[in-house]
Amino acid sequence: MLNDKIKYLREEFHKEINLINSNNKLEEIRLKYLSRNGLLSQLFDELRLVSKEEKPLLGKELNLLRNEVTDKFNSVKDSIEGRAKSEELVDLTLPGKTKTLGSRHVLTQTVDEIKNIFKGLGFAVALGPEIESDYYNFEALNFPLDHPARDMQDTYFLSDSFLLRTHTTPVQIRIMEKHQPPVRAIMPGRVYRNEAVSARSYCMFHQVDGIYVDTDVTFAELKGTLVSFAKQFYGEDIKYRFRPSYFPFTEPSAEMDITCFLCHGAGCRVCKYSGWLEVLGCGMVDPNVFKAVGYDSEKYTGYAFGMGIERTAMLKYGINDIRIFFENDIRFLRQF
Amino acid sequence: MKLSLNWLKELVDLSDVPTSEIIHKLTMSGLEVEDVIDQNKIYENFVVGFVKEKKKHPNADKLSLCTVSTGKEEFQVICGATNVDSGQKVVFAKIGAIVPKGNFKITKAKIRGIESYGMICSEAELQLSDNHEGILVLENGVQEGITVSEALSLNDTILEIAITPNRPDALSHIGVGRDLAAIFKSQVKIPAINIEESEEKASTAAAVEITDKKNCPRYSSRILKGISIKESPSWLRRRLKNIGLRPINNIVDVTNYVMYETGQPLHAFDLENLAGHKIVVQSTEKETSFTTLDSKERKLPKGTLMICDGEKPVAIAGVMGGENSEVTSATRSILIESAYFNPSSIRNTSKALGLSTDASYRFERGTDPNGTVYAASRAAQIIKQLAGGEILKDVIDVCPKKIEPLQVKIRLNRVEKILGYKIDRGKIREILIKLGMKIIDEAESQFHISVPTNRPDIEREIDLIEEIARIDGYDNIPTVSRISITLGEKKDESDFTNKVKETAIELGFYEMINNPLQSEKAASLTGSPIKIMNPQSADMAYLRTSLLPGALRTVSINLNAGEKDLKLFEIGNIFRMKSGNKIRDFKDFTENESLIFVITGKSRIKSWYSGEENEDLFDLKGFVKSFISKFSLDNVLQYSYNHEGDPFYELCFSLKSANLEIGIGGSVSKKVLKQFDIDENLYCFEINLDNLKKIPVPARKYSELLKYPKVNRDFAFIFDKSVTYKQVSDFILEKSTGLLKSITLFDLFESDTLGKNKKSMAFALEFFDKDRTLTDEEVEKEFVYLISVVTEKFNAKLRGN
Repeated sequence: MLNDKIKYLREEFHKEINLINSNNKLEEIRLKYLSRNGLLSQLFDELRLVSKEEKPLLGKELNLLRNEVTDKFNSVKDSIEGRAKSEELVDLTLPGKTKTLGSRHVLTQTVDEIKNIFKGLGFAVALGPEIESDYYNFEALNFPLDHPARDMQDTYFLSDSFLLRTHTTPVQIRIMEKHQPPVRAIMPGRVYRNEAVSARSYCMFHQVDGIYVDTDVTFAELKGTLVSFAKQFYGEDIKYRFRPSYFPFTEPSAEMDITCFLCHGAGCRVCKYSGWLEVLGCGMVDPNVFKAVGYDSEKYTGYAFGMGIERTAMLKYGINDIRIFFENDIRFLRQF
Repeated sequence: MKLSLNWLKELVDLSDVPTSEIIHKLTMSGLEVEDVIDQNKIYENFVVGFVKEKKKHPNADKLSLCTVSTGKEEFQVICGATNVDSGQKVVFAKIGAIVPKGNFKITKAKIRGIESYGMICSEAELQLSDNHEGILVLENGVQEGITVSEALSLNDTILEIAITPNRPDALSHIGVGRDLAAIFKSQVKIPAINIEESEEKASTAAAVEITDKKNCPRYSSRILKGISIKESPSWLRRRLKNIGLRPINNIVDVTNYVMYETGQPLHAFDLENLAGHKIVVQSTEKETSFTTLDSKERKLPKGTLMICDGEKPVAIAGVMGGENSEVTSATRSILIESAYFNPSSIRNTSKALGLSTDASYRFERGTDPNGTVYAASRAAQIIKQLAGGEILKDVIDVCPKKIEPLQVKIRLNRVEKILGYKIDRGKIREILIKLGMKIIDEAESQFHISVPTNRPDIEREIDLIEEIARIDGYDNIPTVSRISITLGEKKDESDFTNKVKETAIELGFYEMINNPLQSEKAASLTGSPIKIMNPQSADMAYLRTSLLPGALRTVSINLNAGEKDLKLFEIGNIFRMKSGNKIRDFKDFTENESLIFVITGKSRIKSWYSGEENEDLFDLKGFVKSFISKFSLDNVLQYSYNHEGDPFYELCFSLKSANLEIGIGGSVSKKVLKQFDIDENLYCFEINLDNLKKIPVPARKYSELLKYPKVNRDFAFIFDKSVTYKQVSDFILEKSTGLLKSITLFDLFESDTLGKNKKSMAFALEFFDKDRTLTDEEVEKEFVYLISVVTEKFNAKLRGN
């Protein structure tokens, strides 16, 4: 009776499905066995007619059959469809659909890289205005009025006492005015110099300044910090040297050179055949600067440093004309 | 500054030290050697030749065919100079020589069919002078075959040193010699003054009076009589040329020589041209005009320090002498000025006149007030040797304000505290003494120092610490591998800007950086600009008031390069005058951080999967929307629209918060674009980041993910063309009972079939409730209701759903 019908249906289904090899036939089978009015449904209808005692067993059998048929059907269906797909001709060499990306300017990328290294060394990041007073830009930084040191930085004046800042160093004053030691921060930003525009110089550029003031800051620690920075930024294998220089706001002052990474110290056009590249200026904060911000220079010592971003990026990427940074030719921007 | 190594070696015994070591140590002690010219190397392969024979070149009228002998060998050489002749001694560049001017190598050459094996040189080619009129003919006594270095004393090494502004003492050979002596533990041999004076007293031949004692604390002078002006001997001319000076005559040359020897600028007056044989140092009381010895008439501002004679000005003190008193070939008596002037007075004069000379350069940095007498005598001594005559008795030395050496204490523990390492006490002592410091008193823990007056840069303990550090060498300062880190607030004030940048990049924009300096025209477009007092040029004389002109300039550059599809942004400061036209205070202007987006060209290029599409105003609006949603300000900012009336944007929209202007933009007007030679559609939006920053960003909170299904329905209506999207969408949301959560316009078109001035808008609606599953019935009810209210309100016609 129903039991036999189950057995028969199982055999018939397997026989039929094993002969299947196309989608059309598959649909026929689905209609025949699995549809609302298909053979399986009919058997379930018959289940209502069997006796109470037989019902659980036959019901279970019938459920098993339904699962078996459904699983088999699905697996055959998957294999047929998969075959069909692979037989369809897809040219996988077609280019992907264009998705546009933006990018940070190479100067921003360079600043960010420098920022990240110093943040890792425990520095905060501070900013200041581009229009500065003579006081912040020069006087507080120990550039006396009428001193030739002012000639080191050709200045755009906006009035007798206001100017476009010539370096990011005034932010040192601003941050020390606001905070008592310890102060430890870097100060990225844009600066201006009243120079004729050429391949080597532009009327504005970018700098990162840094300062650390506390009770026991020494020149030795300045060296340690900057060497750590230079190795992270320029490469572990660089050699370095510090040589005396002059900045009004530091004493002693130094310039840091690293071995030219193009010629590795052998001498080339970029390092003017010296084997060395000047990468930053630094020194111990001059007591007169501490005086300007009301720090006790007997109690506190500190170091400061500064570097030019354009020069750094030019060296790093082999760019030989500073003006290209500010042309914003998209063909240049896309390279970074 | 150029320095002669031979000269330095006369002053300091460096015989055992290789040149490379000298250069290295100078650089490492703060006198950076920027360039080295080794004459022996430069003039390698240049020898004295004897022109044995000169014939005409058979194939060229203007060329000569010469036979040049170097004693051992003879060479056939073609020469183009008209002054070449047989019997001359000349400078002969052999094959392989590199000619200094033009830096080219001599090779065997065929000139008009005849071979030439070298070149006969002019002074210009050898870079001995600018004289390129013919070849250099040497004295006949020179031996042929010897090197030119030997024949012309071109055997020096010239060091180009960058002297920092704090080191006026190093602007001379003796000054640099002092550093070398300290570095190499040697002595500077200051040339001894050994002069024979005449009976006649200088003070009877001339008188010096200082009126402006503040600006001229000391004026010393020597008088010489009976001298004869002539060309300086070759050793002196060569030495001056080597350091880049032009020889003039034996008096001027000596004053220059002594300046480069001692650092003290000197000036020689023709005594007979000084009215009343008198020098008066005084400042001008009114604007004066004066002709300097370069024959230029100059306007001197009131208060300029002048050297006058009994009647008139004869020199601008410390800057340049006057034409009326300069030494000429007829001069027989001279007064040598050796003075100390107040540095800032000379600097002001030099600045005011735009005239910087070797003398003013030294005076404004600070010369040695106690070195004037030595320099005057030193010059007198050499002049007597070269020009004869007699030196009058005594130096006239007027010194109304004696400048005494400063006294400074240095504590040894302070040296260690600053540098981070301990330097031996004995070493510190030695360095200080070698640098010319006098130890007045000393204890175990400190020295009491008298600083020589040639070191005006040393005023404090810290200055002495620097001296010790640089002579000991910065290499000796340890590079510690552990650093101390201060804990505490580590704020990054650039966080906000960084987030703005990141967002712009996520939206596919490239960052540009434009020059904030602009022409008045560009800067005035968008506000009242700040003027630069001393610009390089008119097109960079103002600060930008908006990022728009810079962005347009960049677009124009790219269009010219054939790059038409652009999505660019910039973040930068813009500046505006607030009140008045003069900046006296930070309150008089504004400096704001601004952001601009600019798009032009295609948003999608033609490709295998789609056609091309141009960027348009709604692309821009989409970017702006995405941008502000990154800052969670969608519901905080309001748009407003303006179809006309904005000077820059034809179609314009702006963003505002309750009380702040945030941004403005749209399609840039053709008129503005034309000014930048742009003939494309272009869309910009500029955002005031300082204002944006002020808006409190709603705190971000997790909202529970929806557990119940959403129900979607679409409908489309035909509206009058004047009905806006916003009117309809706002109305629908307003009328909903709250089940409708979002509404999206998914189709918009106009066509003849719809009727004149009609348009179709199709909306996708999304309904859900976060607490339960909605039933079909309730959605259907609301949907039907919405259709009816839209139809009624806008007189719209349902197109189907």
